[in-house]
Amino acid sequence: MFQPASLKGDSPTPIDERIRNRYLILYFFIIILSSIPCALFEYIYLGLFWKKGLYLWFFFLIPLNIMILIYLLQLSAILISVLFLTIVKLIYPPKEGIFSRDIKKKDYFYWNLRNIIKKWPLFISASNPFPWFKNRFILRFFGVKIGKNGIHDNSWISSEFVSIGKNVIIGMNSTILSFGIEQDKFILKRIIVEDEVLIGAKCVLLPGTHIKHNTKLSAHSYTDFNQILEENSIYMGHPAKLK
Amino acid sequence: MEDIDDSQFKVEYISTSGVYKTPFTLIILLQLFVGCLIVVLINLWFYNDLYYLLTGQRFLSFLFIGQWWEWFLLPLNIYGNLLLFAFSIILFSSVLFKILNKLCPPIEGVFEKGSKEWKYTHRRLWTAYFPIWLARSLPLPWSDIFVYRFLGVPIGKNVVAYEGYIDPELIEIGNYTMTSLNICIFSHLIYHDKIIIKKVKIGKACIVGPQTIISPGTILQDGAILGVNSYTWVNQVLEGDLIHVGTPVKLTLQIQSVEESQKKAEKIKGGSLREIDNINKSKSRGNR
Repeated sequence: MFQPASLKGDSPTPIDERIRNRYLILYFFIIILSSIPCALFEYIYLGLFWKKGLYLWFFFLIPLNIMILIYLLQLSAILISVLFLTIVKLIYPPKEGIFSRDIKKKDYFYWNLRNIIKKWPLFISASNPFPWFKNRFILRFFGVKIGKNGIHDNSWISSEFVSIGKNVIIGMNSTILSFGIEQDKFILKRIIVEDEVLIGAKCVLLPGTHIKHNTKLSAHSYTDFNQILEENSIYMGHPAKLK
Repeated sequence: MEDIDDSQFKVEYISTSGVYKTPFTLIILLQLFVGCLIVVLINLWFYNDLYYLLTGQRFLSFLFIGQWWEWFLLPLNIYGNLLLFAFSIILFSSVLFKILNKLCPPIEGVFEKGSKEWKYTHRRLWTAYFPIWLARSLPLPWSDIFVYRFLGVPIGKNVVAYEGYIDPELIEIGNYTMTSLNICIFSHLIYHDKIIIKKVKIGKACIVGPQTIISPGTILQDGAILGVNSYTWVNQVLEGDLIHVGTPVKLTLQIQSVEESQKKAEKIKGGSLREIDNINKSKSRGNR
């Protein structure tokens, strides 16, 4: 729902500065490429409607123009970043596990590179004013499995190694992290959330958690690494315990 | 309308407030169209005039003929369009909100999914969605308080109530209250297949700390302080002029002045703080 600009669900993935600075050109390249279809669309719009007798139509169709422009930018950003992402994944496929936090190690380096590529489309979809085709739509392109009939748009979900079932409600400001940084170690582990699960407001799921069918996690609690929450039960606390 | 007695109804966990997408969500398109229409109509007249001043021709035939002083309106026009767009949508949607309130006024209670109240809370939240999004993306920092006031939420004078999630119905906030970053004030909760709706009262001169959740039915009396990272249970009453901490709130602490806390520290350490400081300094010098 209506969160302030500072909490709008944009990705807080900590991209390593050494890698970020080196691949800034790639980031700008994605932005420029994704804005080309928008420029073409505006060119066609001007050509069609800026004529004698059609001035009024030009102005009255502007709200439609804005909507199409926003969704066109979002879609082109997704497609271009997916294109780059498949290339990067072909070079080095992502793996789960515990790695050392060293930019010369391939796992950590390519994880950062993938985050740089995903940054722009995630930002665009998070700042979209309309509630349609937001979080869930874009995460499906990045390989996250998300079921139907849920509420996900107020929360932040990692874009890798997450699978979420049907009818899942994820609360306001809660985060689902499939990565963790512990001193020199870097952890990537799959999070599984099964059907009919409710996650309350301001929850944090750490990598490796598995929430089973019809479990409720109360607000303001977090789960431990590799924690398994049994089915049909209520959990709460820091870290989450059976109630 | 299925009211269950509040005394019998026990809440086992705090969930979250959220809304499903319904066909009524398309109201956002109507709001956008109305806002754009107002902006376009005013701009059409203005740019038509400017065009007339420049070339002596008009691309649309209006009655008004251009005057030289209209050039001075141009900078106002560029910035004012932003405000005009936002505030026309805010006014329009507040009218819509009041009509929805008349059709089905918000009532406290527990309601089934698919009931009339459930539908109307969804409708109200979706009408409030776009104006609040707009107000928060405006460069004016206090504009979303205006939106809440337009929607009929009684928010008092000198309130800091931005940078957090606040439900747009059944909430009272008194004068001089501060709510800080990343808070959630819920007046409705999802609970299994039901929805719990309860009024939230926040008194005068309260402070709500960062990262807190205020769940429906809580009452903050005048001067109460809710500590960082804590949340309240349903129907909890926080006494006035005290600090409340806990997940959910259990501890209550007194508000102390600096002198009082220093006296307590003296009791524990068995000497005045300054002397201890001096001893520490001399020790460190000796070590060097």
